[in-house]
Amino acid sequence: MGLMSDAPEPDGRTPDNRTVERFRIVVLPHLDSAYGFARWLARDPVAAQDLAQESLLRALRYFHAFRGEEARPWLLRIVRNTWTDMRTRYAAESESLETVENQVAAGPDPEQSAEAGERRRHVAAALAALPAEVREVLVLREIEDLSYKQIAGVLDLPIGTVMSRLARAREKLAAELRGRLGRRDHGLSDL
Amino acid sequence: MDCPTCEAMVDAYVDGELSARDSVEFEAALAICTDCRQRLEAARTMSGLLRGLPADPAPDLLRARIERELRAIAGRPHERARERMRWAAVAASLIVAVGLGWLGGNLTGQGGRQSDEMIAGYLRVAMAETPVDVASSDRHTVKPWFVGRIDYAPPVHDLTAQGFPLLGGRLDVVDGRKVAVLVYRRNQHRLALTVWPAATAGNTSPDITVRDGFALARWRHAGFEMRAVSDLAPAEMGSFATALDKAADSGS
Repeated sequence: MGLMSDAPEPDGRTPDNRTVERFRIVVLPHLDSAYGFARWLARDPVAAQDLAQESLLRALRYFHAFRGEEARPWLLRIVRNTWTDMRTRYAAESESLETVENQVAAGPDPEQSAEAGERRRHVAAALAALPAEVREVLVLREIEDLSYKQIAGVLDLPIGTVMSRLARAREKLAAELRGRLGRRDHGLSDL
Repeated sequence: MDCPTCEAMVDAYVDGELSARDSVEFEAALAICTDCRQRLEAARTMSGLLRGLPADPAPDLLRARIERELRAIAGRPHERARERMRWAAVAASLIVAVGLGWLGGNLTGQGGRQSDEMIAGYLRVAMAETPVDVASSDRHTVKPWFVGRIDYAPPVHDLTAQGFPLLGGRLDVVDGRKVAVLVYRRNQHRLALTVWPAATAGNTSPDITVRDGFALARWRHAGFEMRAVSDLAPAEMGSFATALDKAADSGS
């Protein structure tokens, strides 16, 4: 699916020095994005690192076919497709949910109020709990700040589908948050 | 505009994906449609909450792993590669070369994981566009910055007169504990000094080793464990340690 079927095969040659240097300049600066997206796909920091590493190396193998389009969506598309190939290895998705929650809890948050931190934990947990199909579109839009057109490219979908999926995703997130806050009653009633 | 049309446009409006004409139409429809106004508010709230999540940059060890792979594929980075790339490569190889040994017996004496964490911290200093969280050559600015951020007061000395201007400081996490990292400069080289209270008393003289053109120093002085890494020549690393100890003893 996606990139792996419609893109050229890797040419099988080891990338030369110049290619690697160009790759460092063009693609490597987007490692943070790749890892961020990977984290929300895999919902586990260790799997996310494996996914990001595998994606970067795959990107290098396909870099000869890179034609100067925008590098970040190009890389994110590879992350998405690599995850499709890898996810069976990490089939135990459900037990990763707590990890995301804990990870956000442990994140660097020195200047923020406890209430703000608490709210972010709920938001992160709610996002992590969403089905992959709506989760990925939200992450690409709100966290990676991609346009509809770029998201359409990453997910290999028509723009109209991106738009309707995003609307559905926001509704689901709101419902998920209401459920969590209702259940735990943390007084964030202004949501 | 009927309501289903306007409803379908809410998210595109929030995302700035409507054409100017559609936006005007949508806003006009919104003025008379309570439902859609609520939808708009809800969509904006969700958007705002997600955008408020903290950024989660790639861990330094992931960078190091990728850097190692790239090096294996292309050989050593080209001489003309940017300085930070050179640092990254050297520091990545450091992880391999030094492994678990060099920093052993540090914070809790468990070796292993915290050594990786510390070396990853050097990577951060070496690779970051802004290597410090507090940028100042004034120790009276740098030292108070650590107050309330870590549970000890690290010794901060400006060594400009000795040829090592202070660039600033930053926090690192070693074995779950926050530690102070001071960053110095020698010509165009950076030097990262990690400092934490020593568990044992007594001074030791700097033990300086070299790997891949990288100078490492470890010693204990005036109640603090010191670990310094730089791509300086070992003799210069020695001068640094001497200058630092002197400054500590004279209280300047």
